[in-house]
Amino acid sequence: MSNTLLWYTTRGAGAVSLVLLSAVVVLGILSVLRVQSAGWPRFLTAGLHRNLALMTLVFLALHIVTAVVDPFTHLGWLTAVVPFSSYYRTLWLGLGTIAFELLLAIVLTSLVRGFIGQLAWRVVHWLAYASWPIAVVHGAGTGTDAWSAWLFTLQAICVVAVLGAIVYRLMAGNRDPLANARSSFQAAVDRREPK
Amino acid sequence: METKDTTQDRVRARDAAMRLLNRLTTGAALSALIGVGLFGAVSAYTIPGTKTSSTATASTSATSSSSTSSTSTSTDASSGLQSSTTPVASSSSSGVAVSGGS
Repeated sequence: MSNTLLWYTTRGAGAVSLVLLSAVVVLGILSVLRVQSAGWPRFLTAGLHRNLALMTLVFLALHIVTAVVDPFTHLGWLTAVVPFSSYYRTLWLGLGTIAFELLLAIVLTSLVRGFIGQLAWRVVHWLAYASWPIAVVHGAGTGTDAWSAWLFTLQAICVVAVLGAIVYRLMAGNRDPLANARSSFQAAVDRREPK
Repeated sequence: METKDTTQDRVRARDAAMRLLNRLTTGAALSALIGVGLFGAVSAYTIPGTKTSSTATASTSATSSSSTSSTSTSTDASSGLQSSTTPVASSSSSGVAVSGGS
């Protein structure tokens, strides 16, 4: 495989990974909001969120592997694992490594959610809100095409979509239909607890 | 048997949703694969790569050919380098020291 083909694949896979990651974040927010309709049950949002998250990891792996084996940069495998260990664009590549590892942690803890418990899973899952902006900054900083019109447009669409979903979530409030019942139950349990 | 009908409706709705989930996942995977090719092609069009290794090789060969006074006029299409059209002669005169440059 020629060097340039690896380079183009790295850039293409990076752009696709950003789109997929943004879609995963938006679906995660919609999942929390319990969005559903007659033809779109709630588990569909959660299922698509999970499948796209796994797919994001696959394309991120393609992005990383093609970047590492590209002889132009001589990045080395350590760069893919240890943040800020690269001589080449140290800060920007380090941010990419951090974003990848955060996403990996989120996916792995989701796969073993039954073993680690709901609270630990939720805490780690909140890292998604850190992983996505770090990935965006990584793309804007190190991306060869960062200021190309096509990638700039793509990044703008992703940012608007995720920010829109976050704002929608903040404005919508808690959509849990059992929230009041749970609060009442918890309050009753607390009253019955011996001092 | 209204309860049974309701259950059957729910089962059918769930199956339909599962099929939709599979279709959406497959569609997303295919779109992502196409996207890698498409974005790669667009990035190649906007900022084409330079073959650094082949350029280095061509540069070396150009140097070696000049030292042997080659008169080849062929063009290396992959590197964009063109050989000199005039013969290169070597000289053995004494060296000249230059100073005062800015």
